[in-house]
Amino acid sequence: MSTPVEQMVQSLARRKATVELARPGDAGRAAAVWMADQGIVRAVLADDPVVDAIRLESALRAAGIDVLRWPVAMGRREVLGLEGPEDVCGVTVPTLAVAERGTLVLEASVGHGRGLDVTNRHHVSLLMADRVVETLGEALARTFADGRPVPSAVSLVSGPSRSSDIEKISTLGAHGALTEHVVIITP
Amino acid sequence: MSTRRRRRNPGVAYSDVTGTLRERTVDALRDPTLADNLRTAGDSWGAGREVMKRDFGFDEMRDRARDIRRSNIRNMPALLAELQSNVRASGGVVVRAADADEACRYITDLARARGARVVAKSKSMATEEIKLNEAMEHAGLEVVETDLGEWIIQLANEHPSHIIAPAVHLNRDQVAALFREEAGTDDVPTDREGLVAHARVRLREKFAQAEIGISGVNLGVASTGTVCIVENEGNARLVTSQPRIHVAVMGMERVVADWDEAAHILQVLPMAAISQDAANYVSLITGPRREGETDGPEEFHLVIIDGGRGALRGSEFEEVLSCIRCGACLYSCPMWQNVGGQAYGSPYSGPIGAIITPLLEGPSSPGSRDLPFMSTLCGACGDACPVGIPLPDLLVRARARSSSPAKRKAGLAFRVWSLLWRRGVTYRLTMIGWRLALRIRGRGGWVHRLPGPGSGWTKVRDMPSKWPPRR
Amino acid sequence: MRVLLMRTCLSDAIAPKVWKATRRALERAGVEVKVPRGQTCCGQPAWTAGHPDQARAVARHTIKVFAGSDEVVVPSGSCAGMVIHAYPELFAGQPDEEDALDLALRTIEFTQFLAKHDLDPRAKACGALTVHDSCHMLRVLDEHESPRAALAKVPGCEVREMAHADQCCGFGGVFALNFPELSGRLGEQKAQAAAATGAPEVVSCDLGCLMHIAGRAHRTGIPIRARHISEVLGS
Repeated sequence: MSTPVEQMVQSLARRKATVELARPGDAGRAAAVWMADQGIVRAVLADDPVVDAIRLESALRAAGIDVLRWPVAMGRREVLGLEGPEDVCGVTVPTLAVAERGTLVLEASVGHGRGLDVTNRHHVSLLMADRVVETLGEALARTFADGRPVPSAVSLVSGPSRSSDIEKISTLGAHGALTEHVVIITP
Repeated sequence: MSTRRRRRNPGVAYSDVTGTLRERTVDALRDPTLADNLRTAGDSWGAGREVMKRDFGFDEMRDRARDIRRSNIRNMPALLAELQSNVRASGGVVVRAADADEACRYITDLARARGARVVAKSKSMATEEIKLNEAMEHAGLEVVETDLGEWIIQLANEHPSHIIAPAVHLNRDQVAALFREEAGTDDVPTDREGLVAHARVRLREKFAQAEIGISGVNLGVASTGTVCIVENEGNARLVTSQPRIHVAVMGMERVVADWDEAAHILQVLPMAAISQDAANYVSLITGPRREGETDGPEEFHLVIIDGGRGALRGSEFEEVLSCIRCGACLYSCPMWQNVGGQAYGSPYSGPIGAIITPLLEGPSSPGSRDLPFMSTLCGACGDACPVGIPLPDLLVRARARSSSPAKRKAGLAFRVWSLLWRRGVTYRLTMIGWRLALRIRGRGGWVHRLPGPGSGWTKVRDMPSKWPPRR
Repeated sequence: MRVLLMRTCLSDAIAPKVWKATRRALERAGVEVKVPRGQTCCGQPAWTAGHPDQARAVARHTIKVFAGSDEVVVPSGSCAGMVIHAYPELFAGQPDEEDALDLALRTIEFTQFLAKHDLDPRAKACGALTVHDSCHMLRVLDEHESPRAALAKVPGCEVREMAHADQCCGFGGVFALNFPELSGRLGEQKAQAAAATGAPEVVSCDLGCLMHIAGRAHRTGIPIRARHISEVLGS
């Protein structure tokens, strides 16, 4: 009988995302190391307490990665990667995740751009372990609970971008991020 | 610009389709590439369906899916009112369009009023049905389909052959050729990954330019005024986040009551459509961006289309409104597997298309009245449908409803048939006559040519005049 | 035990051997068989062609001919499916609706009847064959086992399953006449799948499918023979 986090790890693998577990003290460095390995030169971070708690910004600067924080003052072409560096990573903070499917729940807000995970070539997500629930039903019930303000956009993200349109065989990277790396932050 | 509007009655079936339905099936049968591509798609879908049943409990989820959708249709007016109210409360605009004309007019007027020039679109069957692209191009807009398969067929100037995978009838080499032409260069990759990477860049240019993004709606959730958009590629994410204005086009029947129901349908949909337990991206959008947000559209418009759907409630065809447009019935259909979607001449092909196209167009519409007959009634579609629509039964009802000169002729023949066959004596006489004719025409135990209606038989088969049939 | 036998119009028209073999098989299994005179057709051709009024007129006669309380055995999944599945819709709101429903409850396809009462027709031996499951058997009657269970009792019978066995053969009643080329293509695929098993013959519970498969096989030179399952069981 696996825990939600264990189930999430398995499901993410099924979705062809990569995942690692880290304590809060190590998570920032772990994320920075992964990004440096990918050749990422710039990261766009959600403006979120989790980002600060793991000291991601300083870890990234130490790794020589350029850091921008949401909201960014950038034209649409640069946001989409048509201008500027190619290997840019969006860093998101899910509000919840669904263990049985390997799905991240991303909510748009003042501090969290709705396109962070999808406009850039790479996507890193900082998932607090206690935000993992088992089923989609549970995640949606919590997200849209009575009395809670309805977010303008909620994105359910399940694995890197794929298209089946050419010879009906799954091909990665049509529009969204080509990579998805989830750092599950455990206590 | 003239203020007198040209009345358009575009119909659902494509207007540029040539020949009869039978002729189009014959053309399709002559194309070996099509047959191979469809077979690959069909086999892959079939194998995936087995995995969904075996490992993900697909069959167990179907009864509830059916009940949810039936309940949605029963409560449709109230649910739509609630949806509308909640979208407006979140800062969105809702328009109820009676028909294609009204919907297209609203959207083109909006584009004109906002000075838009480029429109980026993600996949929407409803926009195909109302011929929105045609209307927008007529209004001088550049419309770009951003779903990879839809872009491919837009470049090929073709109609889609499948609801979910519109370019399934084309292979890699054919796609590379289209990309070379669009880019105006031969420097286009020919491998699958390379082609996708190429499309990514070309289409990002359009996301950057578009003032309006137009999407479909898989489900509208009444309790919060949220539209759900399900996709694999990520283009709908960009269509609904980059342009300043988002227009979502929704068939009126695509409404569910609450998140409990939405969760169930959102799980069943990818299982049925692509044999995956989750689609890559699901966007849950409620109105425009909120105060203080710096990305996302500033305007959200929901266009809810009737187009003949409302009239189906309470009719013997009501169950078609349960459809969640998964495309499973297409993949399962031996007819579709052999001729593909384009032969149907309608954005809705396969068994569901064969029923709803004439329903939305009218039973004597020449473009679609033969569609319900292009089926052996084998029942594979009914088995495949995740929401339990009794497709084979509805095909028979659709046949009864259809009206054409050929059908009237057949009606006369069946009148005679029923007069003769409702009495034992006259039945016996026709059998004696028939068996005599077989014996006379038979050569070596086979008849090679039958006259009249029988000629359809002997065009491709022999008729045994002795049984068991001789070698 | 006594049953009424529905001959089917296809058997009358193409292969009276089939209904006669069905009777023989039932009698050998110890069942008394009555073949009501004046019977005609279940009405399916008109029903699926979209002419329900004509279908009903003929079906009405069938209901009268088969009145009674005995089970009605029919060597056709297609005709059994029509009576069981479509008569309730065809006669909804009609004055004889109750009679139609009564017949629908008493009607049963031949191999399903054998399985239900665990009967052995004591057939003579046969060799290797492949079974074509008609769509009516498979999906309307939800039946896959009963033909095979019946064949298992035949000495020497070796059933070789074909690939894509659940794919339609392409007959489809009026479809065969309205879309001959597509019908022929599907029939050819089925005939090839049958021949690929290496078995010399294909058997089925449905004569319509067999006429079509055999007819297409003969036209295109595919080496497969066809027999109705009753001919094996009533040999």
